[in-house]
Amino acid sequence: MNNVGKNRKTLLLYFLRGSKRYFIISVIFAMLVSVLDLINPKIISFAVDCVLSKKKQKVPEFAVNLLSEINEKFIVSEGDAYYFNSEYFGSRLYLIAGLIATVAFFAVLCRYFFKQFNARGEGKLVQRMRNLLYEHIIHLPVSWHNANQTGDIIQRSTSDVETIRNFVAEQLTNLIRVVVLIILSVIFMAGINVPLTFVAIILVPVIILYSLFFHNKIAASFQKVDTMEGRLSAMVQENLTGVRVVRAFGREAYEKKRFEQSNEKYMNTWIHLMKLLSAFWATSDFVSGLQVLLIASFGAVFCVKGTLSPGDYIAFISYNAMLTWPVRMLGRVISDMSKAGISIDRIRYIMNSKVEEDAENALKGDDAPMNQDIVFDNVSFEFDRVEKNAEGEAVVVSVKKHDEQAEVLKNVSFTIPAGKTVGILGGTGSGKSTLVHLLDRLFDLTEDEGKITIGGKDIRGINRKWLRENIGIVLQEPYLFSGTLAENIAITQKEQKMDRVKAAAKIASLDEAVEKFGKGYETYVGERGVTLSGGQKQRTAIAQTVIRNTPIMIFDDSLSAVDAETDVKIRKALEEKAKGTTTIIIAHRISTLMNADKIIVLENGRVAEEGTHDELLQKKGIYNKVFNLQHAV
Amino acid sequence: MDDKLEKGKALPWFGVPALAPYMKPYAAKICLMVFLGVLSSLIDSIYPLFNKYILNNNIANKTLDTLPIVIILYIGILAFQTWDNYYTMRICSSMELWMDRDLRNKAFDHLQTLSFSYFNQNNVGYVHARVMSDTGKIGELVSWRFMDIVWNLSYIVCIFVVMYVTNVKLALYATIFIPVAAFIILILQKKLVVYNRRMRELNSRITGDFNEAITGVRSIKVLAAEEKMMESFGKDTKDMYRASVKTAHQSAFLNSSVTFLSGLILAVVLMSGGKLTIEGVLEIGTLSVFLSYALGILEPIQNIINSISALITIQVNIERLMNLLNTKSDVADSPEIIEKYGDTFNPKKENWEDLHGDVEFEDVSFKYPDGDELVLENFSLKVPQGDSVAIVGETGAGKSTLVNLVCRFFEPTKGRVLIDGRDARERSQLWLHSHLGYVLQTPHLFTGTVRENLKYGKPEASDDEIWQALKLVKGDVVVNKMDNGLDSDVGEGGGMLSTGERQLLSFARAILADPELLVLDEATSSVDTVTERAIQEAIKVVTKGRTSFMIAHRLSTIIDADIILAVKDGKIVERGNHRELMDKKGYYYELVKKQNAESF
Repeated sequence: MNNVGKNRKTLLLYFLRGSKRYFIISVIFAMLVSVLDLINPKIISFAVDCVLSKKKQKVPEFAVNLLSEINEKFIVSEGDAYYFNSEYFGSRLYLIAGLIATVAFFAVLCRYFFKQFNARGEGKLVQRMRNLLYEHIIHLPVSWHNANQTGDIIQRSTSDVETIRNFVAEQLTNLIRVVVLIILSVIFMAGINVPLTFVAIILVPVIILYSLFFHNKIAASFQKVDTMEGRLSAMVQENLTGVRVVRAFGREAYEKKRFEQSNEKYMNTWIHLMKLLSAFWATSDFVSGLQVLLIASFGAVFCVKGTLSPGDYIAFISYNAMLTWPVRMLGRVISDMSKAGISIDRIRYIMNSKVEEDAENALKGDDAPMNQDIVFDNVSFEFDRVEKNAEGEAVVVSVKKHDEQAEVLKNVSFTIPAGKTVGILGGTGSGKSTLVHLLDRLFDLTEDEGKITIGGKDIRGINRKWLRENIGIVLQEPYLFSGTLAENIAITQKEQKMDRVKAAAKIASLDEAVEKFGKGYETYVGERGVTLSGGQKQRTAIAQTVIRNTPIMIFDDSLSAVDAETDVKIRKALEEKAKGTTTIIIAHRISTLMNADKIIVLENGRVAEEGTHDELLQKKGIYNKVFNLQHAV
Repeated sequence: MDDKLEKGKALPWFGVPALAPYMKPYAAKICLMVFLGVLSSLIDSIYPLFNKYILNNNIANKTLDTLPIVIILYIGILAFQTWDNYYTMRICSSMELWMDRDLRNKAFDHLQTLSFSYFNQNNVGYVHARVMSDTGKIGELVSWRFMDIVWNLSYIVCIFVVMYVTNVKLALYATIFIPVAAFIILILQKKLVVYNRRMRELNSRITGDFNEAITGVRSIKVLAAEEKMMESFGKDTKDMYRASVKTAHQSAFLNSSVTFLSGLILAVVLMSGGKLTIEGVLEIGTLSVFLSYALGILEPIQNIINSISALITIQVNIERLMNLLNTKSDVADSPEIIEKYGDTFNPKKENWEDLHGDVEFEDVSFKYPDGDELVLENFSLKVPQGDSVAIVGETGAGKSTLVNLVCRFFEPTKGRVLIDGRDARERSQLWLHSHLGYVLQTPHLFTGTVRENLKYGKPEASDDEIWQALKLVKGDVVVNKMDNGLDSDVGEGGGMLSTGERQLLSFARAILADPELLVLDEATSSVDTVTERAIQEAIKVVTKGRTSFMIAHRLSTIIDADIILAVKDGKIVERGNHRELMDKKGYYYELVKKQNAESF
């Protein structure tokens, strides 16, 4: 899996595993379609010349025996030579019609199989690409997600996948098909009349080159309108999410002006592009028309001279009609292919980003018991610095430099005894959340940044899955997945047991709120469901964690959006339920923390104070100050 | 949820007449477009006649005499058609883009005037799709799709005219197939429309899955739910695979049937036409014309049916967009008010009075548009200019209601809200909002720099003023920590900052606008206590001489308020200042006690 993103080709081949054979079969059918399509004009030409005009037409030698086997009346012999029996066919036109219908039938059958196999290959390819991307994305570390914009990754996972699908399933097969068609029709045409074949294909390279040149030229403009559309779309998005701000500041007119200007610019760029496109299509129509004229005029001359029969003349006109459209598309297909290369690179960026990976021998199970003391041992931490490259992709530019300014945590050391509750208090940006994110290995400490141990085992040596399965964190800004409330609460459970869901909801004081929803626990939440308030979201997240029964539980400012009364209720319920659980509570409210066995006060990434509620009050430091501020009522 | 909105509102004629007012400005262009299109299809249908002439006259009679004339005529017509096609395409594409622009502007502008209840009931993704994608689809419909139908219809008519004029009997043979083909295409296409809809649904579900995986990645990780997520995603992509194979089968079957029918028509025309040729009734050239027509006759029919199914699909988009454009705002200024004070986009500031800051609720009852219970009943309250009002109570008790009414984000169901002694409805919304400073619990910053965000309420503010406002709310510390000071990017929705930091910046933004009315809706809930206390001092300074409304969880932040309203179960149960309420030993007293001492 490591080397798949080495270059464009390796990645594409990796994605094509399992679907390649479908595409190969589909291309074979496509070739059959071309052959069969080319046969019918030949039959018509035969009908016109030999049957309708009663011109003598020789039977090719290989077919003599075969045809006379079927029906000896098909052939008349004249001396050494064998000729088709035009009288016989003339009185039985249904034979010719039947032949045309049969060829048409097989052509259609092949066309159907071509499309079916193509669709299967395409479906498999897209399925595989999406599954692999999805798997990769959810296993990428949080630092990667922080550095990359949501919209951008989604675009790569959707539009770029689409571009690659298009490239393989349509452009590539089309290219092969058209090239085969051109070669075959040249062979067919040359079999009829060589000089006219030259005339018929003389403009083909001109059209392809013209189309290629044109599409290359406007590729940049296409990219430009794409970017503009993205910007316009982002503008709407922002206006909608910030609607309250827009209204409260009375800035509607400004928003309107800004949007209308961008909209106008976007439209004008498109109109200019469409003007070029119209010119291209109209002129290439003209060239195609000239091609027909060339064949018709030279054909007429050859016919009058007697080197071409009227039937063959008609066949040439048909061949030309068959070629016109694919040839004109060819230039576009070739130029569009360059887009695919860019898309593969954009996906390569994701697939090449390093996912969280555990060593084979990472500890888990009994080797790394979780109901043990947690020790932060001289932990300093600094986030990776990232910058954007020209493509807007995040690049880590500097490795940690360990200066005062950049460090979020500085020489933090403390112990959380097994089964005890520890409270953490600290100012905005003092590193509280980072502390617990490190414990859950959302970020990893480097070698020289100290270590965190559980039961004496460095967590960097513990299997991530095992670690996270045993630590229940309620995040500061919890996320609701689209689904029912019950599904959200039970997301970690193999089975959704309603009694457990309800019990968890009760502990989180969510039960009463749920009753009020029309559908109770079956209420749909998330992007397409009902909107929950901040407090309801937090309580759902608490229930989601409670149901897991983990030996370690962490509440990262999880009670900020509920009132003091509910806060107390939840903590009381938790205390009863979670006896023996190691608990970490981060909060601003002293009343939330004061009962903890130990309270740690963080200031600017350092442990400023440590002790029980009473000890800290005695110290008359930060904790005492905050306490007084909050209880000054 | 989406479907609920559209049910029972099917528009007549696929909703196309509803578009008429928007197409009207382009009526002349549309007529020209139709005329040029018909002309082009006419020319296309007569091309085979050149072959017929060459075969019947030049080749059959072995003479090249008239060939130069044919060539010149052909080039002339070809050149004319090239010009014609060019213009048709240009008008058509412009038509599409004009409609796009007009509809998008209309939708966006209309959204600026809708009240909060609309945004509470419709999520961002849904509304966004109305503005960005519905408009595009409708633009395509009234230009290319419409042109497609016109062109193909006129092409069929032309072909048939030529065929019947040339040979009635052969034309009849070709005609019999048309209803059969149309019937088959119609039936198969109907199913295809259903399959395509399913594909689109699955596609947007998959996009949603990606969105969820990315925005919810932290939750997925801490819940160790990767496998479960992959499993459910795998199910969606598998469904997609099945649906796409099924759709491909349907579409391939449809195409194959049509192609096969074309082959049959060809065979029949050749058989019957060949007989006539042998009998000497029909010339070879004429037969060849019929053969070309026979091959091409089903394509326009397929195109028309294709366009009609697109129309059926787009119908939903038309309905949705029209619903948006026809949504009336719950809070709207009357025509007389607009006449005097101007509308949202063209304020007549010369007629605006100053806002002094007296606020009064006069016998106000209120019910949310999507709720059925009164959350306020006969509520009266006088807030003299300069007073501060604090609203306290439990989670979900309806504390924001009063604030929403003061800001006129909602209007009372009964009674009046008076600003400076006059009903708020006697002045324009914009007038009120221009004098308002509002800090939200979930602060929203726009993508851009700190400076751009802070200047949002006061575009002409200088850097000095910005720093002043920042210092007042201790936001200067936040900005100083950032790499580029005021020029630092705040990220998508302010995502590069913590919730507390965002609250500080949005507070500074409100103060910079120097409003007469200040509303703080849990403005500092995610800020640490020490900073909050500092802000508290700032609030004292800022609210001096301004009327202010504050909602807070932490009671320590509101004890200085002139009026405290205690809210319980959506009702205001107590009012008074801190001292009075504490003496009363009622609900407020309980709240304070609980927050203060519950754990001792």
